[in-house]
Amino acid sequence: MNDMELLRELAQETPLPAPAELDPARARLAAAIAADPAAGRFTAVPEVTMHQPYPSGGQPVESLRPPAPAPVLSAVKLMYGGVVGTVMQLIIALAFIGDIKAYHLAVLGHHLTTAQLSHLRPLIITLVIVVGLVVIALWLSMARAVGQGRNWARILSTVLFGLATLELIGNHGVAQVLWAMLTWLTGLAAVWQLWRPASSAFFRRCRQAALTRRP
Amino acid sequence: MRRRRAAAADDAAVIESSWREPERFAVLFDRHAPHIYRYLARRAGRQVADDLVAETFLAAFAKRDRYDLRHADARPWLYGIATNLVGQHRRDEARQYRISQAAVAEPEAAGHAERVAADVTARAMRPLLDAALAALPAGDRDVLLLIAWEQLTYQEVSRALAIPVGTVRSRLHRARTKTRQVLAGTDAAATYEEITTNE
Repeated sequence: MNDMELLRELAQETPLPAPAELDPARARLAAAIAADPAAGRFTAVPEVTMHQPYPSGGQPVESLRPPAPAPVLSAVKLMYGGVVGTVMQLIIALAFIGDIKAYHLAVLGHHLTTAQLSHLRPLIITLVIVVGLVVIALWLSMARAVGQGRNWARILSTVLFGLATLELIGNHGVAQVLWAMLTWLTGLAAVWQLWRPASSAFFRRCRQAALTRRP
Repeated sequence: MRRRRAAAADDAAVIESSWREPERFAVLFDRHAPHIYRYLARRAGRQVADDLVAETFLAAFAKRDRYDLRHADARPWLYGIATNLVGQHRRDEARQYRISQAAVAEPEAAGHAERVAADVTARAMRPLLDAALAALPAGDRDVLLLIAWEQLTYQEVSRALAIPVGTVRSRLHRARTKTRQVLAGTDAAATYEEITTNE
């Protein structure tokens, strides 16, 4: 009899517990489950999704998609946070833009002559507004697509985050650097949530569900 | 054990469904709680196990969204949580080994000769074995007991304790060497040899 056999022999002396012995632990787990915000919500889901039947299969589209886990939901919330941050950034930019010289100094950190500024003024205002709106649209569309389990959105979000990192290097003005850092950190947290194991499994299951839905 | 492994094969699906329906997590409790309880009872005693089994499943429930669904069998994950909790109750575990050392049980009077011989040896060696286990470093003991008692594979222990498979192998080797050294040349070992030789 070797040491492992001996250990196994002794382990057999401890029987499995009777079901009643586990009742206190089961009760504690049941209390934790009941306290979970998602508890009891499941029964309402089919009613919510029945209004959108799948055209050929006759099954609700939403019911085929697995539920988004907490990390994906956090990523979506962070992306909406990114929207708020970009809107704030745009508001600050527009507030300063009336005094274009002050805007360039305070927000962008550039030192341009009055002649240069008056010449570029319409272009700068247009660019600030267009870029701001595009960024807001990107945040919103990525948040929506990621919440729906689109894997391409996860990849594109990561690429956009990479571009935002490059853009971070090009910032000079104090206000711009601070806002860019804040937005970058929000993006970092969102991307991190998107690549956690539970998120990866969710995107994988969504892809499988999409494949099974194809006629 | 095989039946248990088969049942555990869709643990990942249960955990995933519990993200939306937390009530589903109870399936995992019914499936694995008895074995987790026994593991905890062996290591820290029944009184402590009552509490620790609940703590294990509460911790697992709280972090179920972080579960890697690529692993269909959740047992290593649960044993990992349970082992961490035992780590927080090292004094209870040490006391459990002392109690075992002090308890001298009588062997069964009847039964198959080989079985009786095995029982005699095991029971006679128990105090030594408990002393050897108590003397092992915590990490080595975790590996040894997960493999010997719970029959986890090296890969499963690696997942449970979040250590590389190579570390599992080296810890097991070290733990077994130390345990063998304690057991070697004892009267109990000689008794077993004597019984099996005379048969």
